[in-house]
Amino acid sequence: MFQSLTRRQREALLRVGRVCLNVPFVVIIMLPLLYTLMMSVKPSNEIFTRFFPTTIDLISYRHVFTKTAIPRFILNSFIVASAVTLGQMITCSMAAFAFSFLEFRGRNFLFLCILATMMVPWEATIIANYLTVSSWGWRDTYHVLIIPYLCSAMGIFLLRQNYLTFAKELHEAAKLDGCNNWRFLLTIVVPLARPALGALGAYVFLNTWNQYFWPLLVTDSNRVRTVQIGISQLYDADSEQIGLMMAGVVVVIIPSLSIFVFMQKQLINGLMAGAVKG
Amino acid sequence: MVRFSHKSLLRSGPRRRKKTLYEHIEPYLFLLPALLVFGIFLYYPFVKTVYLSLFLTDKFGQAKLFYGLQNYYDILFGKYSASFLNSLVVTVKFVVMVATGGLLIGLATSLMTVGKFPGRTFSTAIYAMPIAIASAAAAMSFRMILHPSIGLLNASLGTQRAWASDPVWALPIMALLTIWLVSGINFIFIGAGLRNIPEELYESASIDGAGYWRKFFHITLPCLSPTLFFQIIINIINAFQSFTQIRLITQGGPNEATNVIVYSIYLDAFRNFRFGSAAARSIILFLIILVITLIQFKMEKRSVHY
Repeated sequence: MFQSLTRRQREALLRVGRVCLNVPFVVIIMLPLLYTLMMSVKPSNEIFTRFFPTTIDLISYRHVFTKTAIPRFILNSFIVASAVTLGQMITCSMAAFAFSFLEFRGRNFLFLCILATMMVPWEATIIANYLTVSSWGWRDTYHVLIIPYLCSAMGIFLLRQNYLTFAKELHEAAKLDGCNNWRFLLTIVVPLARPALGALGAYVFLNTWNQYFWPLLVTDSNRVRTVQIGISQLYDADSEQIGLMMAGVVVVIIPSLSIFVFMQKQLINGLMAGAVKG
Repeated sequence: MVRFSHKSLLRSGPRRRKKTLYEHIEPYLFLLPALLVFGIFLYYPFVKTVYLSLFLTDKFGQAKLFYGLQNYYDILFGKYSASFLNSLVVTVKFVVMVATGGLLIGLATSLMTVGKFPGRTFSTAIYAMPIAIASAAAAMSFRMILHPSIGLLNASLGTQRAWASDPVWALPIMALLTIWLVSGINFIFIGAGLRNIPEELYESASIDGAGYWRKFFHITLPCLSPTLFFQIIINIINAFQSFTQIRLITQGGPNEATNVIVYSIYLDAFRNFRFGSAAARSIILFLIILVITLIQFKMEKRSVHY
């Protein structure tokens, strides 16, 4: 069909074709976010009357920060997500270190036990966990949002996979120099494993930030409630509320999107390790 | 500097220095935090869920009356079976739509970004982007898109439909939202699978004069089949666990048309306070996911894909 064209002409044509193919898909994937953005800046008197806004009105954003508890929810989510991220980095590093550098009785059995946790969907244990933390009087606290997530099999696998690539001689040499295991982990393994730790961190922070089911069950007040619960409590009663709700969604998405934009590579690496669980 | 005087170098073979007590327990100390978290929040609640599923409970979830397998009987064949079996059917329909829809979008977007074109970096970023978006945030956004009077969907179709409360459309619409949510991970995995196909296969096919579609059906698809299989399993497991979007948009309605299994567990436990029956539902969910995972293991072991 294009036999008469030169190679360069054909390549140029292909590029145009690819652009034409991609533009509609890109628009469709972006559409929900673009629509949310548009609704959030639409003046409230145009919400029910016009599809496209005539001017940009940022009042909804001011209301998000002055009239709602969203700032508090953002702070709560930051505290919880940072604590979970840091905690998982520590617990998973330690466990992965034991599984990749140390010899001990029951190593394979314990590794299997951790492998087995991937078979249990979190939703299947959520009722029992809810009853447990309720009986301890843990409801509506920060630690109830943090402690159950302080370790993950995915994190252990991701780091172990990484640690196994380090030479065993490194460990032997450090031992000969009188470096104990704790110092070896902290001063040699952790700095070497920074990319893997970054991947784990980006993935865990994002997942915790995006959590919904568990915080929904165990929080009752704005004091500890997290962002995803917060925005789902804004409702679309009237035109002013609609703008507010959409602005709230945009504000809460910004941190997620920033992690995606600035840590895309780490996030994707973490995701690929985490997808084994799904 | 090499220290030849060191004892452990001089002594060869298995006769090594005896380990101290601390050295024996040290590895377990490294594992302790992980095992504590898993023990308290995974193993214990799992056993407790099995236990609860054999009891009738009070409003606070205390096991009150031993009920044997009656909870399972009630939801599978007895008084709650109509609702539970409906949940299963709804979930399977939902899972099929999400798994295939997600896979097709992922395949299309990753194929479209293979060659060079202006805006390629931007396009790939956008296709991957849904991985970062919370299901709650996306659900709030879709609530607006589905709004009966001012929603984007009605505006672009020229209709006045209340999509979320339409008995026919509610479930496909929820599947559509979920496909949007999983499209990013499908794009990333299928894209990675595509890049792993050896370039030489395409080159030799070109020499034989094969066109795009011939190459697609004889090279791309067969080489990609393990990735696609893995991805479809991931989609199935993800879709089985959907909850947020159902709770925020349809609340399982209209008339239980979108009452997927996780949402039915939530209703049973936290609206009707039937923790025993909800635990039995959870165990059934666990068994379903277990079977799917085992199928995946089995198929992967066979590893004959073409």
